[in-house]
Amino acid sequence: MNFDGIHIRGVGAVSAAGWSAGELLQAVCAGTPLPAVSCPRPGDQRPWPCSTRPVPPLPPEKAARHPRLRRASAITRYSVAAALEALADAGHDTATPPPGLGILFVMMNGCVNYTGRFYHEVLQNPAQASPLIFPETVFNAPASHIASYLGIGGVVSTLVGSPNTIMEALDTAAFWIHSGVVDECLLIAAEECDWLSAEALTYYHPKLIASEGAGALLLSSQPQGPRIRDVTGPLCYTSWDERASLLPDLAAQTMTKLDAAATLIDDRCGVARIDRAETSAWAPNDWSAIRSPKTVIGESMGASAALQLVLGTLEARETKHPVVVSMPGTNTAAYACVIAL
Amino acid sequence: MNTCVFTSTTVRGDSHLPSAFFHFVPTTVSQRIAITGAGIVSPLGLGWQQNEQALAAGRAAFRAVDFFDTDGLIAKTAGIVDLPQGKLFHSVSPHKQDFIDRGTRMLLLAVREALTQAGRTDMSGIDAFVIGTSAGAMPLGESYFEHARQQPARVPSQLSRAEHYQSQRQMNCIADEFGWRGPVIIVSNACASGANAIGWAADMIRSGRCKRVLAGGYDALARLVFAGFDSLRALAPSGIPRPFDAQRDGLALGEGAGVMLLEAENVRRSDALGDVTGYATATDLHHLTQPDPEGKAAIRTMTTACAQAGLSPRQIGYINSHGTGTTFNDGAEAAAIAAWAGDAVKHIPVSSTKSAMGHLLGGAGAVEAVICLMALHGQWLPASLNVREVDPAVKFDLVQKFRSASLDHALTNSFGFGGTNATLILQRRAA
Repeated sequence: MNFDGIHIRGVGAVSAAGWSAGELLQAVCAGTPLPAVSCPRPGDQRPWPCSTRPVPPLPPEKAARHPRLRRASAITRYSVAAALEALADAGHDTATPPPGLGILFVMMNGCVNYTGRFYHEVLQNPAQASPLIFPETVFNAPASHIASYLGIGGVVSTLVGSPNTIMEALDTAAFWIHSGVVDECLLIAAEECDWLSAEALTYYHPKLIASEGAGALLLSSQPQGPRIRDVTGPLCYTSWDERASLLPDLAAQTMTKLDAAATLIDDRCGVARIDRAETSAWAPNDWSAIRSPKTVIGESMGASAALQLVLGTLEARETKHPVVVSMPGTNTAAYACVIAL
Repeated sequence: MNTCVFTSTTVRGDSHLPSAFFHFVPTTVSQRIAITGAGIVSPLGLGWQQNEQALAAGRAAFRAVDFFDTDGLIAKTAGIVDLPQGKLFHSVSPHKQDFIDRGTRMLLLAVREALTQAGRTDMSGIDAFVIGTSAGAMPLGESYFEHARQQPARVPSQLSRAEHYQSQRQMNCIADEFGWRGPVIIVSNACASGANAIGWAADMIRSGRCKRVLAGGYDALARLVFAGFDSLRALAPSGIPRPFDAQRDGLALGEGAGVMLLEAENVRRSDALGDVTGYATATDLHHLTQPDPEGKAAIRTMTTACAQAGLSPRQIGYINSHGTGTTFNDGAEAAAIAAWAGDAVKHIPVSSTKSAMGHLLGGAGAVEAVICLMALHGQWLPASLNVREVDPAVKFDLVQKFRSASLDHALTNSFGFGGTNATLILQRRAA
């Protein structure tokens, strides 16, 4: 992966901590888990506990207005807010976004609320299933809405995969910038939560708490903001055992690229059995600070790696020290990167 | 050897539009992207040979959907793949076998054919696997939903459903089948996904990031998606798609997979089946599901892909259109082709193979790219079936019967929900 000359010019985030990257940083640095709320099943009782850490209600002053957003999904609203924050953070006027902007979108589960609602309607009576809802279930609907909002008629693409698929998106965004396809590229990774995905997480471990949100990074060749200085990976695997065997290499290769005290932003969720390999891999090193966002905001699935990168960018800006972001992934590949000024 | 090397100003300077209106890779590398293997699974058959025979015979492949309930829906038929009986995956655990989606099985067959054509037995040496899909393993998601609604208690198999609903887990099954480890990139731009995946892979090679990439697209029929298109009144009540017919009444859904093994020219100089010479993608902002009536984004992608290939419209020997059979799509695409081709339009043969196999959604762009490759290789043109009266908007040479032809370059269009437009151009390798 070649990020030479590419800067993270702006960042934005929506998370359980609030509708800004600053609120995310503050919550994660405080380290106190945000309150979880019970996630009910529609129509019946669930005989086991299941909670979520949802995104708080949208502050009215942050509501973006556009015909496409009237019935847009939560994932779209999170993504628009994060994208606009990233553009503003870079100094762009969000009312007139820069020409030459591309969009790469990453998600894991996608527009689950509308998908569940539409499928419920199909099972009830397919003749009355809503034609307004169905298009919103498609994976690339959020990217399309953002493109429409920003007036971007160029390259707009959606990737589906593990949260750290955003590293492949970053790689392509850097290539697009290097080759002149775009001048700048918005990378957005997002997820929305519903009772089905919250419940699915409890099958992995009862203590896992689902969350949601969006992280956005504006990549640019403008020399403004931190850079992704080094990347380790992808170290590819298809099983949890393979993953565990690769993580020591991920850490070791990354540490050879560090020349100063660094902060670690890891992927740990607070469940020892799930965290064991990652904890062990990074343990031999001294860190200025260790941040584990999932222990604070919950498991935001497809958005989680983007939120780590947003945090890493903010930390690098504030501390002037390098930040290691550990993204071991869940089922395909492990990545780590160093963000530095 | 195509020696056309474009600089960024070649396209950007010719246009008043900002650069991001185009996907154009003005690399300093003038290499062609060789296609050294291709695989196709469609309702017309399994593999290149069966599909070629069916296209030559002008056969359509629609029948009643029998693996989910269509009661209450307007449409009842689709293009359905007959998968072979028996175990397709040999290196995947018995437990996982139960959770391998129908679409993944189709994709495996297409991958196997592509590798075999390239003289390979596995995926060793392949740098990345780039796959487009619109619905992924949707049937597993449906099953997860139904179990969750019906069973208040915890059901252990729900974990496997939740895991294997994820497209990347499905792709892991293919990786495991070949003992391969490498990056898997899943592009999901609705019905342009397959074309975008091939274009993405070509870019990975053009940029020098990869030497060899397996790329394509797939989708299997799923109840939610079928009901979704039905709710939009996009499916033909007649069950017969008639792309570019004046009285067309909608599309028919299908399923399938198409895969190409793409290699850097300097890696593989001979034995190639063809080349990917042009790719462009752009976004139509008109509406989430309806194209701009003038097809402006399609004009941009066809223009830009041709510029990348160093071709004029007159040099395009065949267009495999997106051609769904809906009023909106075919009108916009016909307008776009006419505007893009100008005076050359009447000389350009165009057809829609969706008339024979249905709309394969995320698989469509890849399968239709493979059909273009087959057409270039065999020097023939597949037909648009079922046309009774040609739509007056059609200015091109609508191919209504399979015929022999002499062609060196084929273009394929893919348009998707969300406004994603993609154009690929393939070139024949002389025998």
